[in-house]
Amino acid sequence: MSAPAPQVQSLSCPNCGAPLTVRSMGRAVTIVCDHCHSILDAKDPQLRILQRFEAATGDEVPLIPLGTRGKWRGADYEAIGFQVRTMEVEGITYSWGEYLLFSPYKGFRYLTEYNGHWNDCSVVTALPQADGISVKYLGKTYKHFQTCEARTTFVLGEFPWRITINEADATVVTDYIAPPHVLSSEMAGNETTWTLGEYVNGADIWKAFNVPGLAPPAIGVYENQPSQLRVSASQTWFVFAALATAMFVIFTVNQLFAQREEVFQEAYSFSPSSAEASFVTPDFELKGRTSDVEVQTDADVNNRWIYLNYALIDEDTGQAYDFGREVGYYTGVDSDGSWTEGSQRDRVVLPSIPPGRYYLRVEPESDIGLGIIGYTVKVTRDVPVWSVYLVAFAALLLPAVLFAWRTHNFEQMRWAESDHPKISFSGGSDE
Amino acid sequence: MIWNRLYLIYGIAVVLLLGVGAYRGWSFTSVNEVKNVPKSVRDNPGSYRAIYAGYHHYTGGK
Repeated sequence: MSAPAPQVQSLSCPNCGAPLTVRSMGRAVTIVCDHCHSILDAKDPQLRILQRFEAATGDEVPLIPLGTRGKWRGADYEAIGFQVRTMEVEGITYSWGEYLLFSPYKGFRYLTEYNGHWNDCSVVTALPQADGISVKYLGKTYKHFQTCEARTTFVLGEFPWRITINEADATVVTDYIAPPHVLSSEMAGNETTWTLGEYVNGADIWKAFNVPGLAPPAIGVYENQPSQLRVSASQTWFVFAALATAMFVIFTVNQLFAQREEVFQEAYSFSPSSAEASFVTPDFELKGRTSDVEVQTDADVNNRWIYLNYALIDEDTGQAYDFGREVGYYTGVDSDGSWTEGSQRDRVVLPSIPPGRYYLRVEPESDIGLGIIGYTVKVTRDVPVWSVYLVAFAALLLPAVLFAWRTHNFEQMRWAESDHPKISFSGGSDE
Repeated sequence: MIWNRLYLIYGIAVVLLLGVGAYRGWSFTSVNEVKNVPKSVRDNPGSYRAIYAGYHHYTGGK
């Protein structure tokens, strides 16, 4: 069962005679005629004119029409006032809208809007404590974001405080942030008011108040806008460190327990001019579990090459693993001095070879006419493979780096609008 | 928080895969598998047609 609609009292504007609607009962201090924009004293039975305008004060149209009602934060609220606040920074004027909401049971709260970014604000009762350039409130640290002078440049509806549009009535507004929250102090004379705001989606407001159309899209990054990823870079790096540690444990275990079992080694010589070069090796046994197999070729080549067509063949099943390896080594002297290229040793690791009796079928090739080439073939099973770890490490690192880069950019954009544009703030307060 | 959970799940999958790979001896070497090689290759190695035969090798030299 919803709360009863607030009482509405009908009055007339003493300036233009237009009807006035008072929605917050006896709590309004100032009321603005929505026809001539005269600001009236709501506490005066005659509605004394506090400020009269010869011309319209502006064409500002509230995105949430006054009188709109909705259920917000578990209570029924009605939009009863709207004001535009303006500040000037380095010659550039920035304006934002503030909507005053009223509930007969819960009192007042505000919705603020700037470039499609919305905050739900309430006046705080406890006093925040200064902590350097930050403040602490209810155990949470809020970092200083910006201090500026703000003026009211447009008003509509009613307000529970005395309001005027006057150049001299500027207040000093200081914002401290801990996304998605913002703590603002507003100082007018000797009086300071603290409000706590929480970033909210415009779509949620539109839904709660049944506002026609769509909420305006948010432009840029707002001061207390939480990252869409809703987590800090440091937390991601912590997860990365834990995963990298697990990877290192696997690597260490693999290094310690890899059998590196040499199962075959034989020296051969190859004459490129021979008619039939292919031959098979004696059998050798691969024991234990399915594992990798390293084939190492050392060739006595100098300024020449030898290419070996290998086939590792399972004697029993007829399963063959074909691969080709080249061993080439070159050396010389030129105007830059001596140089070398290639190597007399080649290693290759064949993946996941089941146990069994195997032999190698070898078919060497090389240039004809350069004499006999001696070479040795060595087969070792169960050797650690670095490349798998490098790829796994990269697979873990890449998402973390991309995330950190995104977070860094997001924070740079956030703080670019602050009094501290060089701060890169990636602390863990986005929760 | 969602990102961290997703990253943690993804990372655990990578680490588990790495563990399986380390145990099973995975590597990135490209090997051509041929099935049912006749036993006669043992006696007549030249009868086997090597996949990589005729490789255009690097002739070397700076």
